[in-house]
Formats: sequence, C-alpha cells, structure tokens
Amino acid sequence: MIKKISLLIILFIMLILFIQMQFDLKGYLNYFSHEYFLSHTYKDTASSNIVTGIYLDYRLFDSIFEASILLIVVSGIVYMTTKEGEENERVFIFEKVKISNLLTILSRVLYPFMLMFGVYIIIHGHLSPGGGFQGGAILATAVLITYYIDPDKITKFSLIIFLEKLLFISILIISSLSLLTKNVLFTNFIPNQTSNTYRSIFLILLNLLIGIKVSLGLVSIFSSFLKEGRS
Amino acid sequence: MVIIANLIQVLLIAISISIVFSKDNTRVVVFLASFSLLSACLYFLNKAPDVALAEVAIGSAIMPLFYILSISKQREFIVMSHVDDDYLKNEKNQKGKGYLLLENFTDYYKLKLYIFNDAEKAELKGIFRKSNVDLIIEKDESTNTYFLIGKQSSILMNKLAQLVENDDKTIVVKVKESETRD
Amino acid sequence: MNPILSFIIILIGIYGICTSKHIIKSIVCFNLIQTGTILLFLNLGYSEEGHIPIIGEQIEKIVDPIPQALMITTIVIGSTITALALILSIKIFHYYGSLYWKVVFDREG
Repeated sequence: MIKKISLLIILFIMLILFIQMQFDLKGYLNYFSHEYFLSHTYKDTASSNIVTGIYLDYRLFDSIFEASILLIVVSGIVYMTTKEGEENERVFIFEKVKISNLLTILSRVLYPFMLMFGVYIIIHGHLSPGGGFQGGAILATAVLITYYIDPDKITKFSLIIFLEKLLFISILIISSLSLLTKNVLFTNFIPNQTSNTYRSIFLILLNLLIGIKVSLGLVSIFSSFLKEGRS
Repeated sequence: MVIIANLIQVLLIAISISIVFSKDNTRVVVFLASFSLLSACLYFLNKAPDVALAEVAIGSAIMPLFYILSISKQREFIVMSHVDDDYLKNEKNQKGKGYLLLENFTDYYKLKLYIFNDAEKAELKGIFRKSNVDLIIEKDESTNTYFLIGKQSSILMNKLAQLVENDDKTIVVKVKESETRD
Repeated sequence: MNPILSFIIILIGIYGICTSKHIIKSIVCFNLIQTGTILLFLNLGYSEEGHIPIIGEQIEKIVDPIPQALMITTIVIGSTITALALILSIKIFHYYGSLYWKVVFDREG
C-alpha cells in the first residue's frame, strides 16, 4: 500500500512539471518549416503528398533503417519458433474449431476487394493519403483472411523469408542508385530536368517494394505464431 | 470540433483506466482494440490522415489477433507419450488410469490437454527447449512402473508430485534443462 | 488536442506497468504509452488554421508534416516489437508454468 501511494505522488509531481513545461514551450515554437515544405516539396520530390515526400526523399535514410529493424525482428521470431531437421505435419488451430459457412463465404467475397484496396492505397501513395506502410498492412489483413478459407494455403514458409531478404536488398540498391546519376546518396535517381510524371516513377517503385516487404513480414510473424511449438 | 476531440480524449482515459484495473485477459484485448479505433479518430481530427490509416490497419486489426493467438497458446498442456497400452486410453466408457490423473490435474489449473503419441523413442537431448513439450511419459517393462518426466523449473510439477504421492506405480522425475536422462 | 490530457494517458500506462501482476497486462500497458506519445507529437505541429499536408489549389498554411512522417514508422515498429514480446511470453509460460510476475521471480531464486 505504501508503494502505491508513493508511486501516485511521483506521478502527480511529473504531471505538475509537464504543465509547467507546457507554458515555457510556447516561446520556442515557430512556423518556418511549414512554409518551407509547402513551397519546396513539389519542386524537389515531385509528390503532392508532403508526408510521402518526406519519408521517401528528404529522410530516406530513416526509412531504410526502419525496414532493416523489421527484417531483424522477423528473423529473430523465426529463429525462436522453428526447429531444425525435417518438417513434420503441422497442426493448425483452425482444424479443431469448426468454422461456420457464413464466415467462409463472406470472406471469400471480401478477399478480392481487400486486395484491390491495398494495391490502390500503395500506388496512389504520392497523390492521396496512404503509402507503403499503410497499404502493406491492409494487404497483410487480406492475406490473413485466406486462413479462414483454406488453413494450409501458405505452405512454403522458407520462400517468404527468402523473398523478404531479396526485397530489402533491392530497396537498398534502388535508393543508392542516385550516386551514379546525381553524385548524392539516397535521393531520386531520375535527373531534375525531366517532367514530374516521369520523376514520380521512383516514388511508385519504392512504395511498391516497401508495401510488399511490410505485408510479407506481418504474414510471416502470424504464421510463425501458428507454428509455434507444433512442428 | 474541439468539443468532440476533447470528449474522445476523456473517453480514451476512461478506457485506459478500465484496462489497468480489469482482471480478465481476453476482456483487456477487446478494450485495446476499441482504444486504438478511437485514437485513430483522434489522429484524423488532428489533421493527420496518414497516421490514422496506419493505426486502423495495424492497431485495431492485426495486433488483437496476435494477442488472442498468444493467450490461446498459454492455456495448453502438451504431453508426449512413449507408452502404447491402456494407461492413456480415452474412450467413452473406460478411461485409463493415467488419463484420469492428467484430466484431474488440468481441470485444477483450467488448462487444455493435448496428448501426442510417439511410438518411437526420439532423441531426448534439448527437446524441452525446442518444441514446448511439458511432460514425457515412459514405462519400465520389468517392474511395470510409469515415469512422468518434466522440467524442474516449472511450478506445475510440484502439484503433480503431490497428486501421485501415495501411488507406487507412478513416479515423477524432475529434470534440469541441461541434463539428459536415458 | 489538449496535450495535458494525452500526458495523463502516459502516466496511467506507467502506473499500469508498475502495479500489474500478469505479464500480458504489462505488454498492453506499453501500447498505451505508445499511443500517448503519438498524440503528444502530433499536437506539437498542430495549428488551428492549418490544412491537411497535401498540396492543392488555394492552400496557404499547412500542419507540420515532419512529426507525422516520424509517427508512421513508430506504429509499424511498435507492432513488431509487441509480437516479439508475446513470443517471449509463450516461452516463459512453458518454462516456469505460470505467467505471474511473483511466481517467475520466486522460481528464479
């Protein structure tokens, strides 16, 4: 009981300090970066969506390390759940629970629409809200629906991991291709003089690669959850 | 618009307080899904539609699935048997002696019982770490006694040893992680 | 909108981590802290007359786009870190036989 009361007192002191800091913060805020991004982004990166322009051109270095963290976590999870040696037959949880017909038929109807929506969000990432990360997550939920339709749809587990490594290497190669054409690392590799429609090819390509990589990573995490301790 | 945003934020605080003070784990997961759905609305009111899309797809669809899968994995008791006689028989009229014992034990802890029959003697080295087996059952043919082999670190083995205390034919053996017994 | 209300969510998450008895519940409290942090960051760049950061006609002011670009990566990384913690909790259950912090610390010795 004494521990909880002392914890509450410490949290209350933190709240008071935060309110005090909030008044001091007003002096430091300025609006310089808002005007800069509004006037320069379309000229520099050829994307209408400023957020996509930031994480695919100005701060591409951050996005590459984000993708590498995803790869490291997925490989750690796969290392902890798989057993070396020959593969036994897998026992999925959906085999024991009887799934109702309504759910399977509805998910069979919904599946192509979800795929279409995910691909739309990825490809329109530089024009409207969306992009590689969000579209990849929607694609992952679309693939997870196939577990309801057919429990052993995804059988080649090692192929998914191999594809993910390949996609990460191709993201690295495409983003460092600008060293040859512009002499600068990690920007758009198509020269500045060409029209904006051609320059947005780079954005669409990187969005597609990141989207497929994120969806494959989430699917492999899910299927290693199902396999855990069973094979 | 400001009133709606403040109201949603007060609702978020109420949901988080009920998460901290609730005792049921599956109810916590449902609360978490509704929490992230409401916070996605709040991101959109903050004029950030990209973040709201990411939160709807990941926070309220994929993460509760992970939680529910891991909670269902934590209610299992996996038994691997090398015995092929009536000891672990499970039919309508007659249940084996060992099956009754294990059923009694798992009902006490509210676990689910899975029994894998493995006729061939597999290699025992490192099997606990790799494939999450909780208990191994073996039989000594000459003296007709059964051995229940489990981990020393698990707290469930103490209760199992208490259950079979006055039975001569079954013996509970506790093994350390690095030892092998053959 | 109000930064003090979103800081209270972080404080509730810290209280939950310090007092929870079950491992799953302390993982959930990490997610609460993550949501509170995202709300604080989005609030830094918010302005009343700003527009959604997409370039169009007749737009003079926008919201600050840098915190939004950082927060998208936060959500994706947070989900994978949660999955790693859940896998570790399954391993802990099969090793110690229970998921309460008290039992785990007693068995550890």
